[in-house]
Amino acid sequence: MSECRFERDVIAGRWTDTLRAHVAQCADCEATMLVAPQMKELASIDVREHPLPDPQVVWLKAQLLRNTIAMERASRPLKVFQAISYAAVAAAWTAVLAWKWAAIQAMLHSLTPATLLQNAGQAASLSVTFFLAIFLLSSVTIGLALHTMLAED
Amino acid sequence: MFAEALALPASLDREQVSGGRRAPQKPMNEAQFEAFYRKTAGSLWSYIYRMTGDPATADDLLQKTFLGFLRANPTFESDEHARRYAFRAATNLALDHFRESKRDRLRLDSLTPRSATVADRGELRHDVSRLFGELKPRERALLWLAHVEEAGHDEIGEALGVKSASVRVLLFRARKRLAELLSKAGIGPEVTR
Repeated sequence: MSECRFERDVIAGRWTDTLRAHVAQCADCEATMLVAPQMKELASIDVREHPLPDPQVVWLKAQLLRNTIAMERASRPLKVFQAISYAAVAAAWTAVLAWKWAAIQAMLHSLTPATLLQNAGQAASLSVTFFLAIFLLSSVTIGLALHTMLAED
Repeated sequence: MFAEALALPASLDREQVSGGRRAPQKPMNEAQFEAFYRKTAGSLWSYIYRMTGDPATADDLLQKTFLGFLRANPTFESDEHARRYAFRAATNLALDHFRESKRDRLRLDSLTPRSATVADRGELRHDVSRLFGELKPRERALLWLAHVEEAGHDEIGEALGVKSASVRVLLFRARKRLAELLSKAGIGPEVTR
């Protein structure tokens, strides 16, 4: 069902004898005729109380929006990398602590003045590798924290 | 040099005819957008206002329409094509607005001009505005596009996301409903023929 070819003439009010004869037979055009004057009236009402925004402002806003979106898109891989780093560091800490948990507990228990004096001459039960691992992990954690803070700034 | 001298219209200018072959169309630049905005924004605002019944919402949705338009940065065959795109985007935003707020019925009263500075304060005009607001948003959109924008059925269908063939039926129903409301309110059709 396509548009009646007389519809636009009825809307525009271009009345001719042919159009009048047509409207008498066409339900669509009759309905159009019933509302066309009121629609015209409605269209003539100027309801805008203030001017529209300047196109240059809209253009500028769009550019800013586009830049923000581009920046968000560009920083997305960085954010993913950051999340992976947090998870890796947390997992490394868990692994290191689990690996030497018994030794760490023993060391913590021995951190009283009396036991410290008593065991002063004894060799430490935790290896150099462990302390190196702790040092390395601490450095990475601090680095990550600093990077996060600076990136937020 | 010749193209400059001939001052091709913006829509053709974009196609950049070179060496007998058409170069790929480019998205609008600032000057083209400004020209398009000045030509379209007024009628688009009125359309959104008549759909939503609220000037503030019309302002907001108009900006969203153009921001979305620029963000998508599409290429158009002509200004008419761009205009259709803008009306379709505005329709979608207005319908989304109704879905979100579901306050359509509450806003009916606000369809009449609010400010005393608005020239239109005639009783008849006031009634027509109010009655138009009693229609469903889609009916308002259909009637506005057909009668004010003088859009064809295919364009209306495109804007409202319905088949062009259905527009005839929907438009007929919308017209009948408005005619009924007008008749009930005693505003008979003043047919000049």
